[in-house]
This record gives sequence, structure tokens and C-alpha cells, in this order.
Amino acid sequence: MASYAKPLARPHSEEEIEDPREHLMHDPLPRGKMNEMVMESMHETSWKFWVATGFLTVVVLVCIGYYWYYMIMNGLGVAGVNRPVFWGIFLVNVVFWIGISHAGTFISAILRVLKVESRRPFTRAAELMTTFGLVQAGLSVFMHMGRVWLTYWMFPIPNERMLWPDFHSPLMWDLMAITTYLLCSTMYLFLPLIPDLAMARDRTESGWLKPIYKILALGFRGTEGEWKNLTTAMNIFAFAIIPVMFSVHTIVSWDFAMASRPGWSSTVFGPYFVIGALHSGMAAVAIVLFLLRSTMKHYKYFIRPEHFDTIGMLMFMVSMAWAYFYFNDYIVPWYGGDVWDKLFQEWAEKGPMWYLWYIMLFCNIVVPWSILWNKKWRRTPWLLASAGLLINVGMWLERYIIIPAGLTINRMPFTWRIYTPGVEVWLTIGTFAFFLLLYMLASRVIPLIPVWEVQEGQEAHIIRKIGKAEISTLSDLE
Amino acid sequence: MSETITLLAIFEDMEPVSEGIDKLYELGLSDDEMNVISGIPVKNTILGRPSAITYVSRIGMFGALMGMALGIFLIYGIPYLYPLLVGGQAIFPVPQGIIITFEMTMLGLMGFSFIGMFVDSGFPSYTPKEYTPEISDGRIAVLFSCPGDDQKKFVDTLTKAGAISVVPTEARHL
Repeated sequence: MASYAKPLARPHSEEEIEDPREHLMHDPLPRGKMNEMVMESMHETSWKFWVATGFLTVVVLVCIGYYWYYMIMNGLGVAGVNRPVFWGIFLVNVVFWIGISHAGTFISAILRVLKVESRRPFTRAAELMTTFGLVQAGLSVFMHMGRVWLTYWMFPIPNERMLWPDFHSPLMWDLMAITTYLLCSTMYLFLPLIPDLAMARDRTESGWLKPIYKILALGFRGTEGEWKNLTTAMNIFAFAIIPVMFSVHTIVSWDFAMASRPGWSSTVFGPYFVIGALHSGMAAVAIVLFLLRSTMKHYKYFIRPEHFDTIGMLMFMVSMAWAYFYFNDYIVPWYGGDVWDKLFQEWAEKGPMWYLWYIMLFCNIVVPWSILWNKKWRRTPWLLASAGLLINVGMWLERYIIIPAGLTINRMPFTWRIYTPGVEVWLTIGTFAFFLLLYMLASRVIPLIPVWEVQEGQEAHIIRKIGKAEISTLSDLE
Repeated sequence: MSETITLLAIFEDMEPVSEGIDKLYELGLSDDEMNVISGIPVKNTILGRPSAITYVSRIGMFGALMGMALGIFLIYGIPYLYPLLVGGQAIFPVPQGIIITFEMTMLGLMGFSFIGMFVDSGFPSYTPKEYTPEISDGRIAVLFSCPGDDQKKFVDTLTKAGAISVVPTEARHL
């Protein structure tokens, strides 16, 4: 009987071969050239930039300047907050902007700790998002306070009324945590910026920026001792800021979870809020990278599809984690059968604002899961940025459902009232415009690409030939 | 005895720098008489030099302890001065104490690490210094002092090791 050899392997397909030289780390340029590109991108500004800046300035002046003044003069009544919804869009914005700010520093810190090489060109753009996001969160808190001039009552300073901050209150923990995070993330932004400010100082001959760079560069030259001190401080920050970031959004969640209220009192709120913050923040990083790559000269060299791929994978992972926590937060009260929890859930799903709940789930789950599984789509900047935009819409709505919608349903049905925003809509538009404006202005002054970190990465990478393939190899130079 | 002069040797790459440093050792210079200035951090093992000492982490730890003390003061000192009864909770609450103490400890750690970086590096410093902007453009410099009479010997040796220029340098405003 004749015997036939079975094929030893299954039929093969043509695999797409990726050239390692497409990666920034394997496509080095001389440092002088990279410096020149970054400086040029800051200084060569088209008229479109100034038109956009002018427009945003007007929006900020009208929406924040005028409407805040109007609210101060007429009282918080011009906002839509009223019994029982005393926390409206201002608080939605606080949580939203703190969330946005989280991913900036977190991405930079965690990728630095884990030595993820693709982080190098975009850490600063992400860190800057943290600082400017926290500015908006702070503004939103002050707007919500109404009598903003009494802010100092929050501080532990002696006063004749014997009023002292009460550390039993989650709001007080929040103040401490957000202040810590703002200060630490600003310092963390500044540290790796010093060598680039020194580079900008060396390359700026004259003009009003020269003395600014000179002062901010602190006299940095790059001696062994200076580098040692700088990298040690950066390492301490990278490790220490991660637990602070977790603590901040957990404490933000406790502003709600500590209250015995349907929809809020949940033990899973801490991690759920943290993951929600990362969900919106990472999506915002994708948007920022897309905008920088599209508008800044030479940034296509620094920010490449591989970087969108990294962010896209993180977004995908975080969206799955968010869905897990959301489901967890949903099913426990649903199964528990508490009448008030049930009422709240039914109100969110079937009440007058049911569509917000569905848009939220669509944006936070359907959009990322249907786009981000595909490598080719993840590497398409506009597509990733669009997904990021929708995720942020979804995350903003999630906070809206938790806060004003959550306050609508309480244990006293005779107080139920649907919240209709007033002046806060304009103030919200103002915070978004202000964030963009700050970012645009910073892009003219601060080198948004950490050139020294890019060069350091390029020095550490080499291509080795193993068999027939060219493999990217990383030397431990850090 | 001749006057001591300061020379700045500029190199294109890392490799010749370590060779140049070896030559400087052979010519009798010690670690304290030279400094490497670069646009990126360079591991001391690459250059064959001892690691620079840093006090940043120690200053940071001190700050963490200070922050912890401040946190404990805030959470226990304030209710001691101005006791407030809230929802049947203790006047000196331990769980809240953990939150405030944690935040203050981390603020102390990072704040003092930041300050430590300034103090240990002597920042800000706007006095004249030996420097060339070529360094921030990627070149690596070795700054060292040697007797003026031996200048030619040092220049020749370092040029042979791969330096693209070895020139006397003076401190200038950055």
C-alpha cells in the first residue's frame, strides 16, 4: 500500500514585513538637525495659527470672562443648579478635567518606569495636558463655589470666625490631593524640560524669549553631576507620581461614594473612577498627538503611526477595563434589588434622558472595541483621534449621568427635578477653549518634543540581523 | 611652575570620549580634574568613570518625613485646637489621617526631590561657565585643567584619541 507524506506545515500566507527603520528610534537624525526642527516648529507660525488663537481668546473672554462675571454679579441662580441637583455641570467638568489630566502624567510616568521606548517623543505633550487640564478643573471648582473670593476659607489659617477646614470631609481630602497632584505634575513637567530649555537658550540669539529661556534653563550645561541629579529626581517622580495619581481620582470618587445615595454609594467607585480617568485621558492624548502632528511643522518626523499604535493599544486595554468596572458597578445594585438603586438605574436607562446612557455606552465601548482591535486602524492618526473624541464625549456623559442625573433621583421623590443647565454651558465651552488656547500658546514657547530623550533613545537602539530578519535591539543606556 | 589652564575637548561620539578619558588618566589627571558635558545622560560605566554622587534621593526622603509630619499635624493638630464632631466619628480619625498623611508625604517627597535637584546641582546659576552650544547639538565635551606648559601634549594626545577640537576655554555667560 502506497503511503503519502502529509504536508508538514499548513499553507503560508504572505506576512506584512515591517521595516524597523520606519520607527523613530531607528531613523536617527543628527541632534543639531532635530533641535533645528523643533525650534523651527515653534517659531514659524502661519496666519491660520493666529486666527485660531484670536478666535479662542475671544471665546475665552466671552465665555469665561463675561459669563463668570455675570454669574458673580447675579448669583448662582443663573446657573441651572437648584434643589435637589446642587452639583451640576461645573462638577461634571471638574471630574472630566481631572480625568483628562490623569492620563498625561500617568502615561509619561508608567511608560518611563517600564522603559517603553515609543514614549519618548510624546511624553511632554501628555504631561502638558495634565497641567492645563488641572487649570480647567481648578477653574471649574471656583465657578462652582459661587462666592469665589471666599476660597481662603478652605485653608487652615487662623481667622476670627474660628472656622477651620474639616478633615473629616472628602472635599477637604480632594483639595489636598488635587493640590498635591497639580504641584507634583508641574514639577514633573519641568524636570525633563530643563535640558530642552538649555537647548532653546543656546539656539535663541535675541528677542524676548532669550531671557526667559536663560532664566528657566537655570544655567544647565549637562555636566555629569547635573545629569545624575536630574535623572535621579525624574526617577523618583516617575515612581512616586503613579500612586498619587491613583489616590487623586479615588478621592474624587469618594466625593460621591461617601454619600449614602442611590447610584453613588459604591465600594467600586474608586478604581472605576481611576479607570474612567485613564479612558478619557488616553483618548485625549490621541487627539493632542493628532493635532500636533497635523499642525506643527516637522512633527511628522517625531510623531509616527507607531506612537498612535502604542496609544491605541492602551486605549483598547483601558476601554475593556472600564467596561468591566462599569458592569461591576451596575450588576451589584441591580442584583441587590434595593428599590432606590433600581429606580436610579431605570431612570438612567428609560427616563427622559435615556439617550445619554446609550450614547455613553456606544462611545465608551462600541467605538473603541470596533476600531482599536485593528492594527492598521490604530495606526491611522485621524481615525484614532476620532475615536478619542467620541470616547471623551462618552466619558463626559458618564460623569453627567453620575452627577446631575444621579442627584435627580433621591429618597425623597417629592424633590425630584430634572436639571436644566443655564450659564454653565457657556462656562464649559470657555474651559475647553481655554485648554486649547493654553496649549497653542505653549506650543510657541516650550519645545513640545523632548529632543534629548529622543536622541538618548536613538543612541540606545541598533538593528541586528538575525537569520534573514532585521531585528530592533535595545541597549541599556539609561 | 606654570599656570593652570582649562581646556575643552569636543568629541563627535561616545567611543572616543572614553578613550580620551583613559589618555587623560595616563597623563596624570584624576577624576576630580575633569568633567564630561553632554547633551544626553551618559552612563559612567561607558566612560569608565566613577558615578557622580547625588544627594537628591536623601533630600527627597527627608522631605517625605517632613511631609508626613505636616500631614499628622494637620489631621491631629487642627482637631485638637478646634474639635469638630461629625457624624459620630472620632475627633482624631485614623482613616482620614491615612489619606492626608499619604498626600503630604508624597508632596514632601517630590517637592524636596525637586528642591534637592536644584540644591545639589547649584541651580539656578547664572554666573559665567565653561561651555559651548555645540554640546546641546549632540557633541560631547571633556572639560579639564592642565599645566599651561603641557597644553600641546594634552591637545595632541586627545586629538589622536579622536577629539575634533581641543581648545582653551574661558567661562562665559550662557
